[in-house]
Amino acid sequence: MRSVMCVVVVCVGVSAQTALAADKCLECHGTVGDKPSSLFTRDIHHLKGISCTGCHGGDASAEDMEKAMDRRAGFIGVPKGDDVSAVCARCHSNATTMAGFQSVLPTNQYVLLQSSVHGKLSISGKERIVQCTTCHNAHGIAKVTDPASPVYPVNAVATCARCHGDAKFMRLYNPSLPVDQLAKYRTSVHGVKNAAGDARTAQCASCHGSHDILSVKEVKSKVYPTNIPATCASCHSNAAYMAGYGIPTDQFEKYAKGVHGVALLEKHDLGAPACNNCHGNHGAMPPGVESISKVCGTCHVLNADLFSSSPHKKGFDELGKPECETCHGNHDIVAASNVLLGNFPGAVCSRCHSAQDREKGFVAAGVMRVLIDSLQRADDRARVLVDEAEQKGMEISEAKYKLRDVRQSRLETRTIVHAFSAEKLRETAGKGFATAAGISAEAEHAIDEYYFRRVGLGVATFSITVLAVSLYLYIRRLERKQRQAEAVHY
Amino acid sequence: MKTIWNRLYAWIDERVQLNDLVTFMAKKYVPVHRGSIWYYFGGVSLFLFIIQVVTGILLLLYYKGSDSLAFESIQFIMSKVTFGWLIRSIHSWTANLFIFAVLIHMFSVFFERAYRRPREVTWLTGMLMLFIGLGFGFSGYLLPWNELAFFATKVGTDIAGVIPVVGKPIMIFLRGGPDVTGATLSRFFGFHIAVLPGIFTVLLAIHLLLVQRQGMSQPQEFESTPDDSKKTMPFFPNFLLRDLLFWLIVLNILAMLAVFFPWELGRKADPFAPAPAGIRPEWYFLFMFQSLKYIPARLWFIDGEILGVLLFGAAGLLWLLVPFWDRKSSRGGRNRLITYIGLFVVVYIITFTLLGWFL
Amino acid sequence: MNEHKSIPADGGKRDFLKYILGGSLIAWAVSVLYPLMAYLRPPVQTEVEVSSVKAGKLSTFDKDSGTIVRFGNKPVVLVRASTGELRAFSATCTHLDCTVQYRKDMGVIWCACHNGKYDLNGHNIAGPPPRPLDEYRVVVQGDDILISKRT
Repeated sequence: MRSVMCVVVVCVGVSAQTALAADKCLECHGTVGDKPSSLFTRDIHHLKGISCTGCHGGDASAEDMEKAMDRRAGFIGVPKGDDVSAVCARCHSNATTMAGFQSVLPTNQYVLLQSSVHGKLSISGKERIVQCTTCHNAHGIAKVTDPASPVYPVNAVATCARCHGDAKFMRLYNPSLPVDQLAKYRTSVHGVKNAAGDARTAQCASCHGSHDILSVKEVKSKVYPTNIPATCASCHSNAAYMAGYGIPTDQFEKYAKGVHGVALLEKHDLGAPACNNCHGNHGAMPPGVESISKVCGTCHVLNADLFSSSPHKKGFDELGKPECETCHGNHDIVAASNVLLGNFPGAVCSRCHSAQDREKGFVAAGVMRVLIDSLQRADDRARVLVDEAEQKGMEISEAKYKLRDVRQSRLETRTIVHAFSAEKLRETAGKGFATAAGISAEAEHAIDEYYFRRVGLGVATFSITVLAVSLYLYIRRLERKQRQAEAVHY
Repeated sequence: MKTIWNRLYAWIDERVQLNDLVTFMAKKYVPVHRGSIWYYFGGVSLFLFIIQVVTGILLLLYYKGSDSLAFESIQFIMSKVTFGWLIRSIHSWTANLFIFAVLIHMFSVFFERAYRRPREVTWLTGMLMLFIGLGFGFSGYLLPWNELAFFATKVGTDIAGVIPVVGKPIMIFLRGGPDVTGATLSRFFGFHIAVLPGIFTVLLAIHLLLVQRQGMSQPQEFESTPDDSKKTMPFFPNFLLRDLLFWLIVLNILAMLAVFFPWELGRKADPFAPAPAGIRPEWYFLFMFQSLKYIPARLWFIDGEILGVLLFGAAGLLWLLVPFWDRKSSRGGRNRLITYIGLFVVVYIITFTLLGWFL
Repeated sequence: MNEHKSIPADGGKRDFLKYILGGSLIAWAVSVLYPLMAYLRPPVQTEVEVSSVKAGKLSTFDKDSGTIVRFGNKPVVLVRASTGELRAFSATCTHLDCTVQYRKDMGVIWCACHNGKYDLNGHNIAGPPPRPLDEYRVVVQGDDILISKRT
């Protein structure tokens, strides 16, 4: 019995030794107390049974140092520069190898990294800026889902900030790139949740990607303006993912239908705002109620200024109503047209203003609508008349040129609406009315001239015909007399 | 009333012997025969020329002949000047009617052999006036400085440049440089209002003087009838009044054309823009233009275009000199060849003009 | 025989026809002379204004100021910088075709419709305009400023 036990113990001991003997490197380096080996004991690769030689090469079973770290056994020493990532890629880019470990990880990280912005050459010119180990560490590599990993969502922010928050370092590559993203991020909803340990909230990699990070200026980048709405929507439109956060998930749907969405996503107008232009990107947070007009006002300057000095500003703030959004919406902004204005049911103004006591706002809304509609009719009428004169072949280029001014006046009235003053609108529209009236008069004059010419021709033709006929009769009579005179002679 | 006219007449007669002229005029007779209708076309041509001079002078009061102002000044005339549209459209229409009337006049003279002795010089001056009339048309066409005119001038002067030896110098002289520019416009303006009118007036004076001195040409059949059975009418007042009646009708037609078919202005010329599609000269040059298109690019050793230009030049010269090589008509015989040649030319011109217009 | 009968009848006819002839002759003369006389009278705008030639006089054009000039049927903004240099640009804003103006207080070419701004090189520097303004050529001949298209 004892001998069997001995054999078992020896066998176990031998096998244990053998198992440990499989990584003699770790055993030896561990006794020396070197940091990489102490980290490696917790490394996912070690736990999967891969020894130091998995990356460094050499003979893991050899007790002798020289035999273990023999170049002929494949020992490569400490890889430097791009060799580091090449080592990782030897397995991680090999689908067969990865399948052998029952891994479901992607195998394209290295390829993506090479074509990403981080894959560019560093200032030494000898290696890429970033290697796998830069973000994942070299020896204590943990799974992404492991809170110990530097690329665990909660930790990723600090990892990126190691370089991107270091002004001196970033200056070496892109001096104009800001280095305060982390600080801004911490003020955002995402940043606050992330600091509290929420691994589902957005962090650097959620929007910028991990291996495939491209510059914002590149069209394929996830954060290129036309791609940003889809990037944000990848979480914010996913009802299942967003469950528990208590915010709607239809913003992208609404945005895509609105003016800004159509402009950016369909017309590729880079002047149109994506999510980040109104909400901020690193410091993403919906703007406060009082500041909405300022945010919209970064582009819609005139409208915002007018609004801020209008009676609506005080009223809206007191009622806690969001500024621009109340009338125009936030995500599903409708293209502005005359129908928004007025004091009839269905107009935006009627939502608050009513006819009771001939309330001032109600009256003003009605007057403004009437003025804008009249100006449009005056413009249309002027255009129709100019077209008619042109069709009739009359020279009307000068009046046609002035039509631009009427159109400009119409655009200006749309802006001045935001002063919510019927007087101001009347003043702005006045110029348009005057010009349109002048144009219509000129065109009508040209059309009248057209008919005048025909009438004039009729009169002239009549007098010529009478003259011609009477001349003809005169000639006939004259010749008849001459013939009679001749007849008398003979 | 009568005494005033009499007194005026006597005052002038005392100084220039008006009586001689009046008795001469009173004795003028116009033959009346089948072909008499053609007699009116010389007068109509004259009338149309006078209209051109009058409307031309009126246009001159508002037209500006530089490449930056020409187009706009015509726009100004058409829209801002009272009845400017009328004067301009009449001037443009009359140009075409004038050429048309002159062609009818010329062909009727040709077919009636009215060019025969002693009226050779009348024919020569008339043909030269026809060529100058075409020159008026070509130079005047450029003056609005619009797209069509610019390219038509380019093509036309290019063809002139094709003439061997003298072609290039002539082209540079016409264009005022190697290309069609504002300099060309200035030159054409000068030709149109000063040079050509001057030469034309001299030729016209000779032409009219000869017609008055020699009287109307009589067709050969008419000449052979005995004197007392010749039907005639006095020039003054019969023929003159009939002439005036015809002129009145032509004037009315012109007014109607100006109102119902106003002359276009088109777009301002832009030397850097490509030529618009379907560019072609005015109708009176069209038959030559179209003919050139049918000549192959190279015929033996001669360039097709040069051949075309030389052929037309030769044809024109022969036509000009017809009084000198048609001796049969001068001698009183009936030269059927002339009729055939004339018919061929008329049919050719009409056919190629229509081809050029519709193709 | 005929003569005796016809003379009194003719006499009546002659007068009538001669009156008609004379009257219509006068009417015709008027219908020809009236347009000619009207044509000779100078129109309200006495001369063709083509700003493709003259845009104003240098001596009356202040430094650091601008003006809109009509070039054919397009507006052109002519600016005299504070250095005295003359620049001319298409005054049609590249955003929504409003007519721009020079703003002395801002030192830029400004569009009143949506606050678009262009610098004195015509480049769009702020606001919605997506493209710069087309530049025109400015030439000074004596005291006259001439604008023409850039070639």
